Amino acid sequence: MTLEELRDRMKAARIEIAENRLEVVRRLLTDALRPIHAMDSRANRTLEPAVTFDSVRSRGDRGQ
Amino acid sequence: MASEELFYATIRDIGARFRRRALSPVELTRAHLERISQLDGKLHAFVTVTADRALADAKAAETALGRGDISSPLLGIPIGYKDIYATRGILTTGGSALLADWIPDEESTCGVRLQRAGTVMLGKLITHEFAFGIQFPGHRYEAARNPWDLQRMPGGSSSGSGAALAAGIAFGALGSDTGGSIRGPASFCGIAGLKPTYGRCSRAGVLTLSWTLDHTGPMARTVEDCAYLLQALAGYDAADPASSREPVPDYVAPLGRGVRGLRVGVVRDYFFEGIDPEVEKGFEQALATLRQLGATVEDVQIPTIQSAGAFMAIMLSEAFAYHEHDLREHPERFGELLRERLLAGGLITASEYVQAQRIRTRLQTDMAAALRRVDVLATPTSPKPAPTFTQVYDPEYGFPRGNTGPFNMTGLPSLAVPCGFTTSGLPISLQITGRPFDETTVLRVGHTYEQATDWHKRHPAL
Repeated sequence: MTLEELRDRMKAARIEIAENRLEVVRRLLTDALRPIHAMDSRANRTLEPAVTFDSVRSRGDRGQ
Repeated sequence: MASEELFYATIRDIGARFRRRALSPVELTRAHLERISQLDGKLHAFVTVTADRALADAKAAETALGRGDISSPLLGIPIGYKDIYATRGILTTGGSALLADWIPDEESTCGVRLQRAGTVMLGKLITHEFAFGIQFPGHRYEAARNPWDLQRMPGGSSSGSGAALAAGIAFGALGSDTGGSIRGPASFCGIAGLKPTYGRCSRAGVLTLSWTLDHTGPMARTVEDCAYLLQALAGYDAADPASSREPVPDYVAPLGRGVRGLRVGVVRDYFFEGIDPEVEKGFEQALATLRQLGATVEDVQIPTIQSAGAFMAIMLSEAFAYHEHDLREHPERFGELLRERLLAGGLITASEYVQAQRIRTRLQTDMAAALRRVDVLATPTSPKPAPTFTQVYDPEYGFPRGNTGPFNMTGLPSLAVPCGFTTSGLPISLQITGRPFDETTVLRVGHTYEQATDWHKRHPAL
């Protein structure tokens, strides 16, 4: 993420962050979003954002 | 003042002393209150000490013991609560100026359960601001200090919980863990801390940081003490939408079964990046100990482990959603660092949040596959020992990438247990992670390792 993109996002979200802190925020967001931007969301269309936790007894039946 | 040995005894040992009338809950509580008054001026572990309440709880425990009630192993045991657990009629700050005057009219479910078990509430323990932002100098609340080195962080966000336990001013503590806030302080303070499976312990009455990542759980000086606390805390709670109806097993009885025949998996990617050589050495020695105890240790692969950093996108987004109203109306009431982190969450798009949750599903599947091959995963809890305050107060200090977040992403039970010290005397920690709701095996491995070593018997000079 560039500083320019960060500023565009701030404008769109109506969020203000001090100019001297933008680089730290840019690094934080770059790290957080790296795996997301690296993922080809078309590669596994059946992958759903479901969050379920089954017990140890059923492990392996449906992922977890 | 009572002897140092008393303050570092185990819950089992204290219970035995109570039963043979060698010690009373009131004596123990008074000794703790005196020790808190002597030590906490330099540790800043407590926000609020509830002395009157503690003595009332202790007298009630003493009465119960007097009539022969020994049904709870936690009867008369002094406990501290992280200050994000709502306590009826008692100040609950969240470590934040925003809640500096908040006196809840509700009690957290975990608090209710500990009280039913007969524990003594010593007070409220400082937390990083809303469990996320370190208190900088000038903040309304002082940051807790690491008892092993007062110039260092005790970790967070359950910072007061970790400091109090290492300093021997509480026997147990309630912590919470969204990205490592139980296990991080346990690692830096040389104590034990368990993040149970998501849904195992109730979040009701606990301030939210990130709904789908928040876990509550116990912190103590030994694994067995954590097991006693978990036994009281675990179980379904209708007040928590994520609470599980999974039956609660006996967590204490299986602790002594050893690790012979158990399979321990080591993930060599991700968890060793940027690791301190002394931490790595301590971890490898812990693996050698587990082998000597009869466990099989083997490397395992989690193909998507490098995507675990997406955890931060989920946490930032959910934290912003939770705090947005106050952030926009009262930004000045948030510490500068916390405000900055929360606002960063408002810059993540809806699509990015959903993709992060999809990555989470994939990571869960991969971890489940690894945990079909082995019984537990072992990693260093933190790649580095506790940093100094000078380091974390540097404006350029970023959010450190920890080894704990992947197990919040996947909701798996994960335990931190001491596994050594650096040459400068800072604790090193082993993280043991198991299958969903298999806290029993996680605790068993941790307890067996702990009993074979003496790291947990070392205490800071205060």
